[in-house]
Amino acid sequence: MTFEPKIVGFLCNWCSYTGADLAGTSRIHYAPNVRIIRVMCSARIDPTFVLKALHDGADGVLICGCHPGDCHYSEGNYKMMRRYPMLKSLLADYGIEDERVRLEWVSASEGQRFADIVNDMTERVRALGPSPVKAALEADLAER
Amino acid sequence: MAIRANPKLITELEIYGAQDVSKCYHCGNCSATCPFSKEPYIFPRRSMRSLQMGLESKLESDLEPWLCYYCGECSTECPRDAEPGETMMSLRRWLTARYDFTGIARLFYLSAKAEILAVIIVALIAGAGFLLYGFSQGSITQYGGPNAFLPASSVHIFDWTLAAVLLALLGTNCARMWWFTVGRDTKVHVPLSAYVRKIYLLPMHFFTQMRYAKCEQKRPWVLHLVLMLSYVTMLVLIMFFLESMWSGPAVNWSVHAFGLAATAGLLVTTIVLLRKRLKKTEVQYQQSHETDWMFLVLLIVVVATGLMQFTLHRLGLETAANVNYVIHMMAVVPMLLLEVPFSKWSHMAYRPLAMYFADLKAEEMVSKEREAVGAPQAA
Amino acid sequence: MDDLKIGVFVCNCGTNIAKVIDCDAVIDSVERLPYVAVARTYKYMCSDPGQDMIQADIEEYGLDRVVVAACSPRMHEPTFRKALQKAGLNPYFLEMANIREQCSWVHDDPVAATEKAAALTAAAVMRVAHHEALERRSVDMCPNTLVIGGGIAGMSAALDLADAGNRVYLAERSDHLGGNVARADLTAPYLDSARDMLTERVTRVVEHPNIDVLLESQVRKVDGFVGNFKTTIRAKADDGAPVDSVYDVGSIIVCTGYKEFDASRITHYGYGKLPNVVTSFELEKMLRAGRVTTKEGKAPQYVAIIHCVGSRNLEFHAYCSRVCCMTALKYAHEVKSAVPGAYVSDIYIDMHAFGKGMEDFYRRSSEIKTLFLMYEKNDYPVIRKADATDDCDMLIEVNETLSGETIEMPADLVVLMVGMEAREDSEEVAHLVNISRDKDGWFIESHPKLDPVATTTDGVYIAGACQAPKDIPDSVAQARAAAARILARTALGKIDIDAVFAEVDEDKCSGCRMCNELCPYVAIEFDLEKRRSHVISALCKACGACVAACPSGAITARHFTDKQIFSEIEGVLA
Repeated sequence: MTFEPKIVGFLCNWCSYTGADLAGTSRIHYAPNVRIIRVMCSARIDPTFVLKALHDGADGVLICGCHPGDCHYSEGNYKMMRRYPMLKSLLADYGIEDERVRLEWVSASEGQRFADIVNDMTERVRALGPSPVKAALEADLAER
Repeated sequence: MAIRANPKLITELEIYGAQDVSKCYHCGNCSATCPFSKEPYIFPRRSMRSLQMGLESKLESDLEPWLCYYCGECSTECPRDAEPGETMMSLRRWLTARYDFTGIARLFYLSAKAEILAVIIVALIAGAGFLLYGFSQGSITQYGGPNAFLPASSVHIFDWTLAAVLLALLGTNCARMWWFTVGRDTKVHVPLSAYVRKIYLLPMHFFTQMRYAKCEQKRPWVLHLVLMLSYVTMLVLIMFFLESMWSGPAVNWSVHAFGLAATAGLLVTTIVLLRKRLKKTEVQYQQSHETDWMFLVLLIVVVATGLMQFTLHRLGLETAANVNYVIHMMAVVPMLLLEVPFSKWSHMAYRPLAMYFADLKAEEMVSKEREAVGAPQAA
Repeated sequence: MDDLKIGVFVCNCGTNIAKVIDCDAVIDSVERLPYVAVARTYKYMCSDPGQDMIQADIEEYGLDRVVVAACSPRMHEPTFRKALQKAGLNPYFLEMANIREQCSWVHDDPVAATEKAAALTAAAVMRVAHHEALERRSVDMCPNTLVIGGGIAGMSAALDLADAGNRVYLAERSDHLGGNVARADLTAPYLDSARDMLTERVTRVVEHPNIDVLLESQVRKVDGFVGNFKTTIRAKADDGAPVDSVYDVGSIIVCTGYKEFDASRITHYGYGKLPNVVTSFELEKMLRAGRVTTKEGKAPQYVAIIHCVGSRNLEFHAYCSRVCCMTALKYAHEVKSAVPGAYVSDIYIDMHAFGKGMEDFYRRSSEIKTLFLMYEKNDYPVIRKADATDDCDMLIEVNETLSGETIEMPADLVVLMVGMEAREDSEEVAHLVNISRDKDGWFIESHPKLDPVATTTDGVYIAGACQAPKDIPDSVAQARAAAARILARTALGKIDIDAVFAEVDEDKCSGCRMCNELCPYVAIEFDLEKRRSHVISALCKACGACVAACPSGAITARHFTDKQIFSEIEGVLA
C-alpha cells in the first residue's frame, strides 16, 4: 500500500482557482491528493489556517495566488509573500519539513502549470512520508 | 540543390490544354483514386505540382504522363475541378513536342492553323506526286496490269520509303525520350542486361494494353484495343501483303478477310470515338484539343477511302479506283508523315516505351533500396 | 444551531461527473454527517427539474442550508443562489463543492476521485452550517460608458450605446479615429473598401450628440466600482499643455487593439536590409496610393507573399494571428489587379480559411493563377539577393512540402505577413482597469467560451483584437456584445453588488491601525473620536487582507469567516 498524502490547497478565486478550473476544462489529469479550499485572495490566508490543516491531519499544504503584479486586489499576493517566510521559519521550529508547505503563483491561464505543481508536490510529500504532527499528537494523546 | 521555379511555364502549357491546373490545391484525391498510381510513380498530383511551379527539366524527365490512360476518375474526384486528367493529357502533348528535335511538333501544338496547313500542303504534294507518277508511266483507266496507273510494286517501294523516313524520325524522338527519362538520370543507372531481360514488355504492352484493362471502366480499353489491333493488322497487310491486297477484282479471302475485319474495327471505333468527343459523353472526352480532332478526322478519311478502294476494285471501276487511291494517299501520307512522329500518334511508341523504362527504373530503384538497408536482393 | 437541516445535492452532470465519481457512494458518506436531513443525486442539477427538486426539498424538509456538489461555483453559483431565493431561502445559505472541474475531469482513478469528492462535499456541509444570511447591496448604475480606443471595435460599441440614449466618452490615444483598419485599402474576402466602412463609422461617431470623442487622450486613473467609476483622462489643451478631466461612468470597454510584429527580428527575411522586402502594412500604403512598385520605381514581375511572420513560431509567438492568410489572398487579387502581368506566389504553412466566404475566396485566388508554395513550421524560407544575370531581384529558397523539393522562387517584391502582438501599453492598461493578461499579453476574458467580452472585474469589458487576434467581423461582434451587456444593466437602473465585504467588530478593535495601510482600495477609515477602525462597505472588495492581518482578530470577512474556513479544513481532512 503506497502512502497517499493528503494535501490541503488554498487557492485564490481569481487566478489560481480559475487556473485549476482550466486544468479541468482542458481535461489535464493530475494526482488526486490535493483538496482545494477557495478564498477570495491569498491575502486572506491566515497562517493559522495552515497550522489548523497540519493539526487536523494534512500531510502538506499548498498555497496558490496570482503572480506578483497581477493580483486581482492589487497587492494581496505581496502580503502573502511577506507572511510566508515567517510561517516557514515557525514550521521549521516545530520540526515540520520544508517541502510540506509550499507557496506557488498560478495564473488563470496556467491549467497545465497547476497540474504540474500538484503532481510534483504530491511526490515530494509522498517521499517525506506521513506528517510528523499526526504521530506527535497521537503519542501525546496516548500518554494522557 | 535548389531547383529554380519558373511560374511562366504555365502560360505555355495552357495552349497545350492545361487551363485549370492552378486550381489544384493538392488534396491528393486524384492520386489516391488513380488505379495506376503506385510507388515510385505517383500521379497525377506530383505532375500537377511540377507543372504549377514550372520545373521544366523535372517534367521533361518524367515518365508519369505516359503511365496514365485518361480514364478520367481523377477529374471526377477533383473537388476543385482542376482537371488532372486533361492536365496529364496536356503534358503528353508537351512532351511529344519536347522529344521532337525538329520543332514541328511544337508548331503543330501551338497553332492548329499550322497543323491544318501542313496537312493540306503534304496532302497536295502527295496527290500531285502520285498523279504525276501515275500519268508519267501509266493510264488512269488501268488499275492493274502492265499499264497500271499506280502499280503495286511502286506503291510498295513508296510505302517502305515512307516507313523508313518516319521510323527514322520517330526513332530519334524515342532516343531523345530515353535520354531525358533514363539516360541522363544520374541517380538511377539501369544495366544493359536489364534492358535485354525485360524487352518482352515492349510488345506485350503494345499489343495487349493490359494496363488499360485495369481501369474501372473496361469499355475504353476494349475500344482502344480494337482500334489499335485493327490498325496494326492493316499496317501489316499493306507493308507485307500489298500485292495480295491489290489482287482482284475477285476477293482474295486469305488477306481480304483480315482487311475487312480491320476496316470494320477501324470504322466502328473511330465513329464511336468521334461521337463521344462530339457529345462529350465521358470525362476524358469533354475537353478536345485540335490535335485530337485531326487524329480522328484523318483516320476516318483514310479508312473510308480505303473501304471505297476495296469496293471500287471489286466493282471493276478502274478509273474511279485510281482516283480514289490518289485521294486515299492524300490522307495516308500526312497521317503517317505528320501525325506519327509529330503529333498524337507518337504515343503508340512513347507509351509502351514509357512502361518499359518505368519498369526498368523501378526495379533498379528497389534493388538499390534493398542494398542500402542490407536486405537480400530479389530472386 | 441544533435543529439545523442541511440538504445535499450531488449532480451527475450527465456522465461528466458520474463517469468517474460514484455519486451514490458520496451520498452515503455525507448522509452520516451531522445535520444532513436529505441527500440525493440527479442527472443535471442546474436544469429546471433539478432546481425544482431542490426547491421542493427545501419546502418538504424545511431545509436551512443547501450544499450542491457539482461543477465549479464559478459556473453555477448564481444559478443555485437564485433557486434558493425562489424557495424563500437566503441565497448565501448555499455552498458548492467543485467535484467536476477539480475532480471528475482531472482524475482517472474512480476510487480516489470518489473519496476526494466525498471529502470536498463533507467540507461544504461543515462550512455551510456556519453561513449567515447576507443581503445584496443595490447601487445606482451610472449609464455613461468609457470606451478606451477609437478603432473599429471602439466606435461600434460607442454607437450602439449612444443610439440607446446613453453618454459615451471615447478616449483615443492618437490624433485620429479608425485604428489599424484605417491603414488598410480593401478587406477580405469580398474586397470591400475599408475606407468606406470607416468613413461611415467615423462620421456617425463624430456627429453623434451622445458621444464625446476625446482624441490625443490617455486614461490616467480609474477609481470606484461597477456602476460608479470615476476616471481621470488626460487630454491636450489648445496650447498643448496637458489637462486632466474626471468623468463619471458606470462601465468601461477596453478596445485598444494590437500592434504589428517587427519583421526585422527575423533576419533571414532581410527586412530592413533588402529594400524590396516590405510588410503587409507597407503594401497597404502602396495599394491605397494605387501603385505597386519596387523601391526602384519599377512594376514588379514577380511578387511573393510570405505567411506567418512572427506567428506560429516558438521563437516569437506560438499563436496564429488569424487574419493574415485571408489578407494574403486579398493581396494576391490586389497585386494582380494593380500589376496585370505579375506572377504572384503565396508561401504559407497552412491556409486558414475559417470564416464565411473564405474557402470560396481561396478557390478564387487559385483561379487567378496564384502559385501556392507550402513550407513546414520551423523550416522557414530564406531570402537572398539574386545575381545580376537573373531576371528577378531576389530568390526565395523554400523547402516546399507539396512537391518535396527545395525550390528557388523568383521575387521582385516580397510581402511579409506580419502577425499581431499585444501593444506595449497593454500592461499599463490592464493595471489601470484591473484586468489580467495572458502569457502573450492579450486581455483575459471571463470565460473563453461562454463569456468572451466580460472580465473578472465587474463593469469592465474587452472587445476586439486586444482580447486576441481577430478580424473585423469578430471585433465588431464583440464590441456590440459588450455594448449589449452594458445596456442590459443600464436598463435596470440599479445593479446588485455582492454582499461580501469585511466588517470591524469595534469591541475587539484595539485601534492599532495596522489594517488602514493594508487596504488597496483605501476602504478602511479611522474614527478619531472612537479610536476605532471602520470599513466603508461600498468600497470594500472583500480581499481579506485586513482580516488576516488584524492582530486582535477584530475584522471578519463576511462569507469567508475563520470559523467557516476552519470547518472546511476539518471537513476536507475527515
